[in-house]
Amino acid sequence: MPQPIDYKAALDVQLVAASQAGDMVAFEELVARHRDKIYARAFSMMRNEEEAIDLSQEAWVKAWQRLKQFQGDSSFATWMTRIVINLCLDQLRRQKRTRAESIEQLDEELGGVERQMPVVTTNPSEGLERSELRKRIDKAMNQLSYEHRTVLILHEFEEMEYKQIAKVMNCSIGTVMSRLFYARRRLASLLQSLKKEQQS
Amino acid sequence: MNTELKLQALVDGELDAREVRELETLLAQDAHSAALLQELKWTRSALVSHEADVKLPESREFYWSKISRAIEAEEKHAVTAPPERVWWLRFLYPAAGLAAMVAVMFVVSGGRTTDGSASESVTEDVNVVSFRSESEKMSVVYVADENGNFSPVSQEAKHEPEAEK
Repeated sequence: MPQPIDYKAALDVQLVAASQAGDMVAFEELVARHRDKIYARAFSMMRNEEEAIDLSQEAWVKAWQRLKQFQGDSSFATWMTRIVINLCLDQLRRQKRTRAESIEQLDEELGGVERQMPVVTTNPSEGLERSELRKRIDKAMNQLSYEHRTVLILHEFEEMEYKQIAKVMNCSIGTVMSRLFYARRRLASLLQSLKKEQQS
Repeated sequence: MNTELKLQALVDGELDAREVRELETLLAQDAHSAALLQELKWTRSALVSHEADVKLPESREFYWSKISRAIEAEEKHAVTAPPERVWWLRFLYPAAGLAAMVAVMFVVSGGRTTDGSASESVTEDVNVVSFRSESEKMSVVYVADENGNFSPVSQEAKHEPEAEK
């Protein structure tokens, strides 16, 4: 007879195994452990609280349905994060189809705008408190298009390589590289502007 | 790949040893490239470990209740939904309907032609022969008896209105 699980003390792998056998209490514990991270990733991509909540919940429902496919090649948290990223990308693509492109976005797609930006010659994050830097990065990220924001999130926060990003975003490695380059240059410029604003 | 993207690939550790050596030679001679490399490094280090700290704005119970309800609904739907049909079954009903319609039209028309000539139609299963002549505006149906002899059971001649004569 199997031992009863101490859900609070159990490892993720134990909870996943129990969930795969149909134990909803084990799955609820996984949700409780990782809900902030999954919601945060959805929010960083969508920039909208309500959409982020809905998509993160949808990700958990999908995860329950696909639990049998989880082989443990990555951590459960990484696997869950990939599910929510894919859902967010699908939603963002749908939204993009229905809204008009901004002039800035069209410029970005055509390329070359990043080459006209002057190089930032002083470190825009120097001397900033950690919390202040986080706020500024968040504010600057909010001003990027979803393609540029996503490529930064996947590369810097999810630590994915170019080819992995290309696969997730369904584009070429060259596109990933140029989007990442533009996003970084734009972010450097925005961080510098925010620093100047505060100094003046 | 242009120099700027190569500089970025250098920051991200995506270049091989030969490409790294080539870029180092370039950086020693080109101040603009060196400054751009520095900017890319600053931006990268600013981002790493500085993601905004976002917390879910709903209680554990409320958040979970919506997930569990959705799971239950999906499972209920999966049980009650009919099994997915084989792709060719989608064409079966329209094709059968079309075939039946063609058969009915053929029997009703008695195999008549459009050029006004006479024609005959035999349906072997029921031992019936029909004859229609467009030029004489006449149809005759013969039915076979048990010995296989055909005799006419119905004869129809269509009379045109006087005005058209």
